[in-house]
Amino acid sequence: MGLMEIFKFALRGIGANKLRSGLTMLGILIGVGAVILLVAVGNGSKVAVEQSLQSLGTNTLTVSSGRAVRSSTYSTDLTLSIVEALQDKNAAPDIKSVSPVVSTSQTLTYGDTDHSTSVIGTSRDYLDANNSKIAKGEWFTADDLTDANRVLVIGSTTAEELFGTEDPLGKQVSVGGQIFTVIGVLSEKGSSGFNDPDDTAIAPINSVRKALTGYGAINSILIQATTADAVSAAQAEATAILNTKMHVTSTSNTPYQIRSASQLLETRTATAETFTTLLGAVAGISLLVGGIGITNIMMVTVTERTREIGIRKALGAPRRVILTQFLLEATMLSLVGGLLGVAGAYIGANFQITGITPVIVPSSVVLALGVSVAIGLFFGSYPASRAAGLRPIDALRYE
Amino acid sequence: MSDADQTQTLYALREVPLGKPVIEVKNLTKTYGEGEATVHALAGVSLTIERGDYVAIMGSSGSGKSTLMHILGCLDIPTSGSYHLDGVDVSRLNDQQLALVRNRRIGFVFQAFNLIPRTSALANVELPLAYAGVKSAQRRTRALAALEMVGLGNRADHDPNQLSGGQQQRVAVARALVSQPALLLADEPTGNLDSKSTADVLGVLDEINREGRTIVLITHEDEVAHHARRVIRLKDGEIVSDERQRPVEPGSARASRQEFGQPATAMDGAEWA
Repeated sequence: MGLMEIFKFALRGIGANKLRSGLTMLGILIGVGAVILLVAVGNGSKVAVEQSLQSLGTNTLTVSSGRAVRSSTYSTDLTLSIVEALQDKNAAPDIKSVSPVVSTSQTLTYGDTDHSTSVIGTSRDYLDANNSKIAKGEWFTADDLTDANRVLVIGSTTAEELFGTEDPLGKQVSVGGQIFTVIGVLSEKGSSGFNDPDDTAIAPINSVRKALTGYGAINSILIQATTADAVSAAQAEATAILNTKMHVTSTSNTPYQIRSASQLLETRTATAETFTTLLGAVAGISLLVGGIGITNIMMVTVTERTREIGIRKALGAPRRVILTQFLLEATMLSLVGGLLGVAGAYIGANFQITGITPVIVPSSVVLALGVSVAIGLFFGSYPASRAAGLRPIDALRYE
Repeated sequence: MSDADQTQTLYALREVPLGKPVIEVKNLTKTYGEGEATVHALAGVSLTIERGDYVAIMGSSGSGKSTLMHILGCLDIPTSGSYHLDGVDVSRLNDQQLALVRNRRIGFVFQAFNLIPRTSALANVELPLAYAGVKSAQRRTRALAALEMVGLGNRADHDPNQLSGGQQQRVAVARALVSQPALLLADEPTGNLDSKSTADVLGVLDEINREGRTIVLITHEDEVAHHARRVIRLKDGEIVSDERQRPVEPGSARASRQEFGQPATAMDGAEWA
């Protein structure tokens, strides 16, 4: 009996029960599609982080206070005097600007609208160092800084949340109970998926310390190197100054951390990779569960047809022909279902999922499709081979 | 090729003389279970059935008649004893050879019809031919001829669930006959049928026996047994009576074989013997 004949038998077998065949394919479709899409979301978030960090610029260094060094008799806090020391052009010729950063999480209120965001207190150089631009209004002046004027420059997301379609310029906003006036709006930077760089509010550092945080330590220092190539030289100079100012004896155990934007990029990419691995693990579990689902459907479908196999045997069907028919049926069901799942994932990848545009990983397509088809084939043909091995009368009696 | 020639070719290949009985069974036993729970479905049955005979096997339920039938149809294997079909010892055949025997030597009709669901009457009847490797066009012609013979030529494209019980059983008879087997086995073929359908099916069986085919059937009903030439009664797995009602017609063994369309050139016995 030719393969073509058996193929026709298999087609007829699938067509004879359209609902059952359809459900089997649907199970495989969902299993394959979910795995591919989950991995694509993880990968998409990684790609988005990389893109948004690259837009930050690569010629900046961030100094943040690290762990307190035990047995140290000196203060390990970052202070404005350190900022001044870093601004010394003789000691640090490769540093273009230094901005102290104080940040505090506050609730902004305008009319009936509340919005929580982080309020940053800094100096004038921050705008350029942070790769930001003013879209509307203006940046705060040197006078605003020295006089501790309560002026606020807000990000585009913050503006939208608080004011909607209203023009925010000149409006008075309550920040943690203190009144600030909005004088500018930053241009949009774009979302990175996790934290929105456009959801921010910036004020002169003196105003923030006076009105909100008090005169304690500053959170971090943003250093801008003269050029992208001068970053490592700037980092060495900053390290030397910091070590002197903070009386650091052991370079392996500093009370501060100094990181360049590219280092930050690496850290954040590593975080995103962890996220992808996690999603991959979830996808793996879905694949396992999906696989068990496929196993179940295939086993039931074929076992249910033991009687039919008995009839075919009684009519003189050789074992090989029965096996080939069921193997072909299983191949068609799992392959068609799997391919539809791949198609579904490709369609789904065109939509944003929780703010992330999924980016499909080719290897996940191969893996998901391969595993599903292999499981479908094995558990479609194994019960058939068992039934085909029975004596016809035992298969016929099977209920 | 004439029928007589073809028959001779077939048997010459297997070196079996024409006079050999179709079925020759000796001391056949079949037991189920083990230890104290052992059930002797067959307790030593010996039986010879000549070509062209029409045998009814009767007995109460549990007498072992179905078990005997399944063994004769190569659907089951005996615990002990020998079974020669057309002179060939069935116990020596492997799985593949048994499949060929079922396909080409035996037509089996079940009480429960056992048609493949959601598959047209024509496709059901074509099935044994498909497994025999007959080409599609020829298969169709022969299957239609077989359906015509049982009076269902106009129902060929109906699914089993669109047919009455009697019609389904006649499709099953057509399926059993389409490969032109020498032996037709029927396990209570009229057990699930009303009297009208019973008469239809028995009419078909009478006709094919007149054409020279050997028939063995199981029945509960005396009227059905009346159609047979020989009646065997089983009780507790043993033969208790064996009566001949009518002789086997002398010429019947060599009587013309009904051709369904083309001669069965693909069905030479060389592969399995």
